[in-house]
Amino acid sequence: MAVRLSSLLQGAIVHYGSQVMANSIQSVVIVGGGTAGWLSACLLAAKRPELSITLVEAPDIPTIGVGEGTWPTMRDTLATIGIPEAEFLQKCDASFKQGSRFDGWVSGADDDSYLHPFTPPPPADMRALLAAWQAGAAETSFAAMMAPQSAVCANDLAPRQRAMPDYAGALNYGYHLDAGKFAALLAHHGINKLGVKWYSDHVTGVIEDGEGGISALHLRGSPPLEGDLFLDCSGHAALLIGRHFEVDWIDRSDISFNDRALAVQVPCQADSAVASQTVGTAHEAGWLWDIALPTRRGIGCVYSSSFLSDDGAERVLSDYLRKHAPGADLANLSPRKLAFATGHRRTFWHRNCLAIGLSAGFIEPLEASAIVMIELSIKALAENFPADTPAMEVSAVRFNDLFRYRWDRIVEFLKLHYVLSRRSEPYWLAQRAETSIPARLAEQLVLWRSQPPSTWDFPQIDEIFSAASQQYVLYGMGFPVPPVRETEASIVTAAARLAEVRERTRALTAALPSNRTYLAALAAQAA
Amino acid sequence: MSNHQILNPADHGELRIRTEAGMELGDGVMACLTIPGEFRQLQGEFPIVFRRDIESGSFSAMALFGFENGENLFLEGNRWTARYRPLALAIQPFLVGRPASEGGDAQVHIDMDHPRISSNGEGTRVFDGEGKPTPFLEDIADRLGALHEGHQESIAFFKALARHELLEPFTLDVPLRNGARHSLVGFHIINEEKLLSLSADGLADLQGEGHLLPIYMSLASISQFAELVARKNERVADG
Repeated sequence: MAVRLSSLLQGAIVHYGSQVMANSIQSVVIVGGGTAGWLSACLLAAKRPELSITLVEAPDIPTIGVGEGTWPTMRDTLATIGIPEAEFLQKCDASFKQGSRFDGWVSGADDDSYLHPFTPPPPADMRALLAAWQAGAAETSFAAMMAPQSAVCANDLAPRQRAMPDYAGALNYGYHLDAGKFAALLAHHGINKLGVKWYSDHVTGVIEDGEGGISALHLRGSPPLEGDLFLDCSGHAALLIGRHFEVDWIDRSDISFNDRALAVQVPCQADSAVASQTVGTAHEAGWLWDIALPTRRGIGCVYSSSFLSDDGAERVLSDYLRKHAPGADLANLSPRKLAFATGHRRTFWHRNCLAIGLSAGFIEPLEASAIVMIELSIKALAENFPADTPAMEVSAVRFNDLFRYRWDRIVEFLKLHYVLSRRSEPYWLAQRAETSIPARLAEQLVLWRSQPPSTWDFPQIDEIFSAASQQYVLYGMGFPVPPVRETEASIVTAAARLAEVRERTRALTAALPSNRTYLAALAAQAA
Repeated sequence: MSNHQILNPADHGELRIRTEAGMELGDGVMACLTIPGEFRQLQGEFPIVFRRDIESGSFSAMALFGFENGENLFLEGNRWTARYRPLALAIQPFLVGRPASEGGDAQVHIDMDHPRISSNGEGTRVFDGEGKPTPFLEDIADRLGALHEGHQESIAFFKALARHELLEPFTLDVPLRNGARHSLVGFHIINEEKLLSLSADGLADLQGEGHLLPIYMSLASISQFAELVARKNERVADG
């Protein structure tokens, strides 16, 4: 028996060996040159320098400029790609993002506001921290109690000092940026520093490889472009994953209702304060984003066309601008109208084609998940890069499982922001209808009545929204804290951690410069 | 040039201090004043020597950072490369002020013409939005207090050294690897032979007033001249 088994194995290895020679994956072709295409090209080239990477981008297609907010992951991404932080900040008209503030989501009252900061609560048992918070200063907000970032954001301060090493911060942070400028910086860096080959051309067709995959792409102005792996970063067009392979689109609009946006850009005064966080303000049938860059604010109204007309959305937007951007010249701002479908592919990696960015899926930018999903996709690809075709089949299955898991978690986490609301407009009531709440989220909410969100609920290593994020939303929105069953000693320990947060808050609010000061000093240094 | 003011939230509510190290921030000095209470922290990093003021004849203790005026071998650009930052540097641009009325508490003063006064909004605040001292100012106040107290104690320390004739003039000739020579003159150090030959009564006298520890700490610090010379040789080689 043993002899037979080993000879069988040997046969298999020989067979595999010949496959390795024939089908090794060495050249990657990326279709599309927006944020997804160039970020993928640069990050993959930096992490896997042995690969040949070619990007083809249509010359006259404007990029959508998805999400102008990043996660803290972007610091590691940029450091890996090899762009100095000061250069990135200046060339992308970028500012620091330390979290998201949600105004009007609970009741809509004037003082209804909570922060979801990027810095997690102190390392202590959350049950005990909650008990210490309630016993000590229940009138202080959860975020202000758990992280110095709350006070830092309230004062428009930067998360770091200029003397600190690149990408290091006193607090956790990401960026607000100009997506068009970001793609241009990445393109320049990718082509000149990382050896990415670039075609400015239209993809006009697909040449199949006879086994269900792609062997090359027809281009309008050049000979066919061959590759072993194709990344579809072509945005909503989804040239490969959608038009060619017709991989199913899973619609999630039954949970996430918003399908329209009206976006404007408002120039700002050179000496005005630059906000430290994205502000999302709820309205009768959706919410408005407000993202501060050094030279302008991007403001947009996200809404559901089933509950609000386009005219209604324009009214909501102009009301907001009048109140929050008093200097804006309303007459000359012509809002850009966007219609979008919420959902994602059934599978993202099909044969030798991997969809990254909008071609893979889209959901409203409530927690800026678009860019981080690009980073996570490339991380998963680069760190498990398949050596050959058989390995690719395994990689694809795992990737699809992992990213389906991530999309489900995103959909649920965004929904959490709505189900905890007490607003009473028809849109908000519909958001809380049981039929629109995913089963897993409903289950979580049952558990969270008696225990705080924890890593038991979110066990993955690169969990898209950590237990800390869930806690900030949950307790920011006034969800009842679990009944106390901690010992006196553990509450005392937790209270000591919270006292440390208070001391750190005092030290940081004294030592950090304002965002405006930081960015102005950076500009002065470069001049 | 200096412009001393009494620190207060009304005048200095928005004031920020540049806390990084730097030549242009006043750290380009070959030495700073120190106090016996600080010798323990200093002796692992810097030589401690004594200097007599020509006019008053009184002694003070100095931590040495270099061999010539303006040379600080522990400063690399904006990085302070020693583990410890001496009090006299750390408290800048603050100083202890004497109150107008006799016997009043010492006050925190600030030199508003000091290069550490920030003019561009960067740096660390002294008072918070409510006019209360920040942790930075609390820390400065502690250090100023230690320094002020230490200067009072120095008087007794140097009296004791004089009583036992423990100070001797000291000259150091420093040959560098590139053939140049530097010499340090005008400083005093502890006379080790005299210290070792002190009587039991003499030792008890020093011990009783708490001077023995700083005396030995300053003796130990002399071995840091090797570090200073090594840093100087590195600079000469780099330059």
